[in-house]
Amino acid sequence: MTKVTKILKENLFTAIIIIAYAVIFILKPETSITAVGNSGYYLKEMLMIMPVIFVLTALLDVWVPKETIMKYLGKKSKSKGVVLSFLLGGISAGPIYAAFPFCIMLHKKGASIKNIVIILSSWAVIKIPMLLNEVKFLGIKFMAIRWILTVIAIVIFSWITSKIVKDEDLPSESTSEPEGVIINRNSCMGCSLCVKNYPELFEISSKKAEVKKYDFILDDEKLNKAIDNCPVKAIHFNKR
Amino acid sequence: MDIFTMAIWIGTIIFLVFSLTKNKEKTKTALKMAFGMGKNMLISILSIILLIGLVLALLPPEQIAGFVEKQNVLVATIASALFGTITLIPAFIAFPLVGTLVDAGVGIVPSVAFLTTLTMVGVVTFPLEKKEFGIKFTVVRNGLSFIFAIAIALVMGVII
Repeated sequence: MTKVTKILKENLFTAIIIIAYAVIFILKPETSITAVGNSGYYLKEMLMIMPVIFVLTALLDVWVPKETIMKYLGKKSKSKGVVLSFLLGGISAGPIYAAFPFCIMLHKKGASIKNIVIILSSWAVIKIPMLLNEVKFLGIKFMAIRWILTVIAIVIFSWITSKIVKDEDLPSESTSEPEGVIINRNSCMGCSLCVKNYPELFEISSKKAEVKKYDFILDDEKLNKAIDNCPVKAIHFNKR
Repeated sequence: MDIFTMAIWIGTIIFLVFSLTKNKEKTKTALKMAFGMGKNMLISILSIILLIGLVLALLPPEQIAGFVEKQNVLVATIASALFGTITLIPAFIAFPLVGTLVDAGVGIVPSVAFLTTLTMVGVVTFPLEKKEFGIKFTVVRNGLSFIFAIAIALVMGVII
């Protein structure tokens, strides 16, 4: 029973949609047929493009040297930092909520507020594989103009933000983190790479990764691989 | 499949083969990552698609276009920008959706405003962002993004 309620809770949105379809099918059968037809169109369009976008995003994510880029995001970085911030946001995999903890980590490593705003915004709007998708449905002229305007807008408002918000306005580091292996579930997007790298230690629960209870000695090699591979850098290890 | 989609597929396959010859391990990681992300999002994407199908059956795109047309451009733009901030649709569904609406006659300006706020401003993600960055940063970033989304949309209306 608890399992059923858990599944229902996780998929509440889906359940509501299915009920809505059932209701409309009873009240207006024709409308429901149109609705299924409409959905079919989007489903077909999505299936054609989604797999390739995920693969492209993941390939860019593993091949662009993020660690090197991160070194150039400080306050003195000027225009190089701006360009690299756009690049970092544009190639990173994962939804926007995964970008928040990632950017906080960059800020702790010395990235400026301005560059963080650029990363967050470009993470959201100018994903490179998504631009290709935009061309497909709205045309290259539309995409190009929107892209140029968006880049200009981001440059301007990231500068404004850095004038209003100071480093001290960001919450200071949380007091001593617990020991051992920790996953920041706010940034996890459930890609399950860590489970594949170290199945004895990680598991997926409620669509996000979790650390299992463990009493064995950790395998450093496997653990480091899981930490390095995590696309949103959500895994941390605090030595005891 | 149209030429454009085909080009993305071919480009990605070339990239994939190149990646395989350069570094097998990295390629495997990337493929696992792609598969994991896709699997995790599949159900929610399906639900959103079904919802959009339903909304468009009840409110045909032509009707939406007719309604938007009657409004003042600025009002329509601000309204669709607001609508974009409260909805959470993955971008690759948003593009075909906006494509449908534009084809049906919805103006470019409100459409762009919707597309930009959809991804850049988030009411749903606001609490998460606030927790990580503090209230000041979050309000300033989202507020500025909203204002600039409307500016981008208006400028695009002039250019296109």
